[in-house]
Amino acid sequence: MDYFLQQLINGVTLGGVYALIALGYTMVYGIIQLINFAHGEFFAAGGYMGVIIISYLSAKGVSPVLCIALGLGLTMVYCAILAMAVEKVAYKPLRSSSRLSVLLSALGMSIFLQHGLMLTQGVYDKPYPTAMTAGGFELGGVVVSYMQIYIILITAFLLVALNLLVFKTRIGKAMRATAQDKVMSALLGINSNRIISLTFAIGAGLAAAAGIMVGFYYGSVNYTMGFVPGIKAFAAAVLGGIGNITGAMIGGLIIGMVEIFAAGYLSSEYKDVFAFIILIAVLYFRPTGIMGENVDDTRV
Amino acid sequence: MKRILILMLVLAISLVSASAFAETLKLGSMSPLTGPYAADGNDIANGVRTAIEVVKSEGGIPGFDDITLSAQDTACDPRQAVAAANKLINEGVNAVIGTYCSSATLPSSEAFDEEDIIMLTPGATNENVTERGLQNMFRTCGRDDDQSKAALAFMTNYLKSKSIYLVDDKTAYSQGLADNVEKASGAAGIKVLGHDHVNQGDKDFSAVLTKVKAANPDVFYISLQNSATGALLLIQAKRMGIDAVYLSQDAVYHPQLITIAKKDADGMYLTFGYVDTSAPSYKKFIKAYEPKYGKPGAYSAYAYDSAMAYLAAVKKAGSVELSKVRTALLSMEFKGASKTFRYKENGDSGSNYIIRKIENGKFVDYWNVQTGEKF
Amino acid sequence: MTTQESRKRWISFGIGLIWLFIILWPLLGIKPEGLEFMPTLSLWIKLAVASVCVMLVYELNRGGVFDPIKRTGASLKDSTQRLYTATPNWLLICIALAFAIAFPAMTGRYGHDVACNVLIYICLGLGLNVVVGLAGLLDLGYIAFYGVGAYTYALLSIHYGISFWLCLPVAGALAAIAGCIIGYPTLRMRGDYLAIVTLGFGEIVRLVLNNWMDLTNGPNGLMGVKRPGLYWLDFTNGWSLEHIWLKKVWMFYYVILLIAIFTIIAVYRLNYSRIGRAWEAIREDETAAELMGVNTFLLKLLAYASGAVFAGFAGAFFAARMRFVSPESFTFLESAMVLAMVVLGGMGSIPGVMLGALALIALPEAFREFDVYRMLVFGGVMTLMMLVRPKGLCPAKRVGRRSEEAE
Repeated sequence: MDYFLQQLINGVTLGGVYALIALGYTMVYGIIQLINFAHGEFFAAGGYMGVIIISYLSAKGVSPVLCIALGLGLTMVYCAILAMAVEKVAYKPLRSSSRLSVLLSALGMSIFLQHGLMLTQGVYDKPYPTAMTAGGFELGGVVVSYMQIYIILITAFLLVALNLLVFKTRIGKAMRATAQDKVMSALLGINSNRIISLTFAIGAGLAAAAGIMVGFYYGSVNYTMGFVPGIKAFAAAVLGGIGNITGAMIGGLIIGMVEIFAAGYLSSEYKDVFAFIILIAVLYFRPTGIMGENVDDTRV
Repeated sequence: MKRILILMLVLAISLVSASAFAETLKLGSMSPLTGPYAADGNDIANGVRTAIEVVKSEGGIPGFDDITLSAQDTACDPRQAVAAANKLINEGVNAVIGTYCSSATLPSSEAFDEEDIIMLTPGATNENVTERGLQNMFRTCGRDDDQSKAALAFMTNYLKSKSIYLVDDKTAYSQGLADNVEKASGAAGIKVLGHDHVNQGDKDFSAVLTKVKAANPDVFYISLQNSATGALLLIQAKRMGIDAVYLSQDAVYHPQLITIAKKDADGMYLTFGYVDTSAPSYKKFIKAYEPKYGKPGAYSAYAYDSAMAYLAAVKKAGSVELSKVRTALLSMEFKGASKTFRYKENGDSGSNYIIRKIENGKFVDYWNVQTGEKF
Repeated sequence: MTTQESRKRWISFGIGLIWLFIILWPLLGIKPEGLEFMPTLSLWIKLAVASVCVMLVYELNRGGVFDPIKRTGASLKDSTQRLYTATPNWLLICIALAFAIAFPAMTGRYGHDVACNVLIYICLGLGLNVVVGLAGLLDLGYIAFYGVGAYTYALLSIHYGISFWLCLPVAGALAAIAGCIIGYPTLRMRGDYLAIVTLGFGEIVRLVLNNWMDLTNGPNGLMGVKRPGLYWLDFTNGWSLEHIWLKKVWMFYYVILLIAIFTIIAVYRLNYSRIGRAWEAIREDETAAELMGVNTFLLKLLAYASGAVFAGFAGAFFAARMRFVSPESFTFLESAMVLAMVVLGGMGSIPGVMLGALALIALPEAFREFDVYRMLVFGGVMTLMMLVRPKGLCPAKRVGRRSEEAE
């Protein structure tokens, strides 16, 4: 039982990380139907920026809590700016082209950003000041670290905030309108370019938050760290029904749990295989994902 | 006056002929400069650069007016490695220092073999590298089978451990080593509680570590290809509260293991080739390396030694022909930064593994495998 | 008017530069020891000067400074175009073929090697072109078939010593079967759901290759794959057939050239067959195609299978040439690369895909001079090319009018 509970905690934490990255994927997809391969790179950039800002602040003698809060905020802003720039340069000019051209433009951007990070930050892993968030408690044989609790809490908080933003505010209404029909919403006076930009910014901000939390949880960041979680998060977003915010959350949790339980009970080598098999099985029986609505017949 | 003229003429002629006969000695290096193993790959390229600088500053090699380096990227991918090898062959290099990954070394060494280009690997420890009878293949680092013997001796003679749990990440190197340790442990009466594999590039080890914790072994043997991954595993294991002796190997050995894992790295044991840091040859290496490239990584010294050994052999043989350089290499005892060694007939240079321990954020020599005593 | 427009451009260009500085500075300038501005500023000034130069050229171009040069260029282009259309197709093909056959004599070993790679990717690109370009099914796991082909030959050669030429069709057949297996569950899915499922399958194949130690030797790969052999006329005493192993890279070049030519002909014939027409119908509108009596189920499976065959061939050749296979060669990035060739070249266009393969394989090799900047430049150029030519370098000429053109 201890073993099971421990694995459950592990799974929820990992799932939370995937969910946060998947949210950005799903938002961008929802609004312009683009699989943004560069999204994983925003996650990595967030991880780096976080450690840069936090180590600067703590060297200046700022208290740890303030360090992390400021670091989180500034990093999210930074990644939002980065994402808006990428959108302007690489995606906006292609808005009327075939979707595959944008996809490849995104792939090019992903390679570019990844190696840009390598050149500016070096090839070595950058260590995180893990002492700030270290510690945890043991509860009947189950070890829970504070960082795991933070990850779960922050993920839940951001999910609620995002849902409120999308469904309760004017901006959210404009986003949903743009997602449904760009031409019509533009006729109604919505600046769709600005809304798309904003969506990219929010998605990248969430990825940046995930990057910092991963940095604290695992202890270091690396320039290649964005790629694999990026793909897993993409799978999570599709599993939940791409374009759907709650779906991305559920998808992320499922992928994380499957991975951990497969590794814990079956085979740690084949854990990713199980994750993908679950994905394929779900999509076979529900071709639009768990929470997804029917998408219209979109050609490549 | 006439005499002076003649003298000048002779001087001029000798100068012209010298520069006409002088050649450039071209070295190539192959290592993963990009990708997940870029850290070790850059260490290797920098080690070779240092060797060239040192030899040049000592007057170079007679017959050659310059030594150049063409550093190629393999990304640890066999396909890119072969492409890089062909590129080096086309550039007409005389020797290649590389590569780091056994999986990249094996196919590229065959391409060099066809062209009789000598290859000295500073990092590929898989047995097969030197077991194929290639005349051009030399290895400056140790071998996996020797390393597992050192680990076992430490467990049986010093730790007197009863049980072991192994985790590896399935590369030719890391799994080969873990398998050797597992077999030897079983034979020596150490109970093998489990042997798990993780995939390269994994960051989350919580599931596997929960298993290890449930098994509660005496020794937790970590065999990974990448030191940063090792650090991540270490942090998570300590957080999970696994109370065992942490034992690992030389790919995990890297300064960044400590910079990332920090306090969590303390108390870990690693098998590593003995490096006498007080030896003059090592000091010479550090003096040339550190100002330019920072603290050397685990493979910087091996790369430096490979290049130095080759350059010394060329100097001795007075030629860059494979057979002559090979004879020279086999006949020389070489005092390197990493160890004093002599290449054997199959290209190996022998292993001298010891146990090192991390204490207060520093690697210290801990236990001598040969004598069975603490340093 | 023009000055106003150009002022607008310069303003947005300036904003872009400021934006660049904001992105660069935190990465380079914030250190625990304090804030630094100089390194960022010097890099930024370099980039700014370079981009101002590009911008100036662009402005001058718009202003008409280069018009005389452009006019001669255009007339040159015109005359070559006329020459190109005037020469019969068979002559062009003969010239291309003659060039391809004479190529090894013109370059060294490195050239042969790159050429081999290009040809392998031409096979892969054309195979994927069947799936993506003709049938319109986005496939992000195509490299799995390449892996199946490579491992088929490697295993058969190592364990049973079967010759390359016998294994080639076997590799193709097994890849086709794999194509059907992957194709079957995806038939119900559309668009991006299809993309992620194919991606998942591609990853599953790679992970199985990576983990099935007994069969594939895991990440260590399989060594000791035999080279292709050949019977060659031997005139030393009378004449007889002698068996030789292909050793030099240029020999391999001819083998892959043969496979590539076969692929080109096969894809060309498929393209203009009834099946090809049916695929195009599915791509344009699946529902309508089904109503017209196209068996979409069978034809979609067929698209996967026939696309996979070419990847199987290419894979078998890859194994034979490297004499070594490992799962590292079959990652998602490779799939994406092949897809990039298809899209960059122009979907559905055979010369386009060939051009795309040439560009994407030769570019990183050319960029080796850039050293560590290689992949950075490559990623940037990939995005740039998509921006400049979103339809591909050489888009397919389609028969008839299409709805999107009418808009």
